Amino acid sequence: MAAKQHGERLLSLKNIGVSYRRRGGLHRQPPFWALDDVSLEIYRGETLGVIGRNGVGKSTLLRLLAGIINPDRGTIHLDIRCHISLLSLQVGFIPQLTGRENAVLSGMLLGMRRKEIEARMDDIISFSELRDFIDQPISVYSTGMRARLGFSVAFQANPDILLVDEVLGVGDAEFREKSAHVMRQKIRSNRTVVLVSHNPQTIRNLCDRAVWIEKGCTRLEGDPGSVLAAYAGSQKST
Amino acid sequence: MHHYIELVWYKVYADLRVEASRGYLGILWWALEPLLYMGVFYIVFGILFQRGSEDYVAFLLVGLVAWRWFDNTIKLGAGSLLVNGGLMQQVYVPKIVFPTVTVVTNTVKFLVVLTMLLAFLLLYGIDPGSTWLVLPGLLAIQLLFIVALTWLVSAIVPFLPDIRVIIDSGLTLLFFMSGIFFDLESLPLQLADYMRLNPMAILIESYRKVLIQGVWPDWSILGVVVLFSVIVLLVSLRLHLRYNRQFAKIALA
Repeated sequence: MAAKQHGERLLSLKNIGVSYRRRGGLHRQPPFWALDDVSLEIYRGETLGVIGRNGVGKSTLLRLLAGIINPDRGTIHLDIRCHISLLSLQVGFIPQLTGRENAVLSGMLLGMRRKEIEARMDDIISFSELRDFIDQPISVYSTGMRARLGFSVAFQANPDILLVDEVLGVGDAEFREKSAHVMRQKIRSNRTVVLVSHNPQTIRNLCDRAVWIEKGCTRLEGDPGSVLAAYAGSQKST
Repeated sequence: MHHYIELVWYKVYADLRVEASRGYLGILWWALEPLLYMGVFYIVFGILFQRGSEDYVAFLLVGLVAWRWFDNTIKLGAGSLLVNGGLMQQVYVPKIVFPTVTVVTNTVKFLVVLTMLLAFLLLYGIDPGSTWLVLPGLLAIQLLFIVALTWLVSAIVPFLPDIRVIIDSGLTLLFFMSGIFFDLESLPLQLADYMRLNPMAILIESYRKVLIQGVWPDWSILGVVVLFSVIVLLVSLRLHLRYNRQFAKIALA
């Protein structure tokens, strides 16, 4: 098990369970456990891949890591105070506001300071290729233009741990290539990243370690090769 | 903390921009809408029912302006977490930010209406005396009361969405019990005392004393309003801290 151990441990989850209350009129229904028993650790500078089929609780895991929700059982231990956030595109976008205003609002929601975003506005404008459209309300944008702005803003956020859910590239074919390229670069850099995917190829190409989650439980944690092999094996048998 | 204060301000700016961009008249509606609203009451109570003395229009408007600030903020604040349910799933933001944005946005709009009201009172021939200096204090007390209640209802509604119907009816009842159309002093003494259990009735009565009658308000009863508001504020703050990371789960269900 020669998993690349990067820096010190940043965070660990132990036997985490997260339940959602089901709403069913007046009588209570038993809660639904989206995560049942998940344990994992995150080290500085590594890229951790989380693999699992759709509906095994990957999104819940990301929301938990991002601090959006609390676990109902188990413990989260943060070794160092750090800012963790999900790469979310077009967060809080308001159609009537201009691209520039939306960039500021969205960036602030992603944890950036207003000054920081304004300082990087030129990068955002040039990467999104919006030029003069940046001062138009985004209600006149095409879907592709919105996607470009959304990505360019979200990409500027630099949390201590970056959570990425599946999508690497967005927009039309050309921009998708370009955005996926810078995303891969960012993931491969010594930034700490948790990448969630149901695609083994993505995990194999980008991650130093992998965790396989099945029905809300950690099945295996280790180097991507062996975890993916076990995952592939289980896929065939079911 | 500092970051979230900055976020509240920017979100307020954004929400006001959105409102201003709506409709052809845009920002003019901030003035027109309350004018229409108050016009309706003037027609009904000032002309149709021919109520009260010559000061009645000023008397009515002071009550309505103060009430609207309270009423609008509570109603919008009650749904503030539900409206932002999608956002809550994507990023971590302390949930108390949302009702706070509602309060600040509505307060900015209220200040526009208040300016119009003061201008009207001057045109109406009311002489601004030294009691007008107390106005900022009264506004601060009402703001405190509004913040406390908005934080409270915003924390409860996600758990019990149906309660919004009750809040709406409760506000309608309170509207008729806040002495907006009538003077509490004109009621039998005992009844007036009961009515003064309602902070809005106390506040509206105080605004009238200060702005129209040129008398000092009853400080001890205003002190009770402050005390009550601080208690509600602390309870609401606790609720928000306790359920800060639970709200996102409930909004999903």
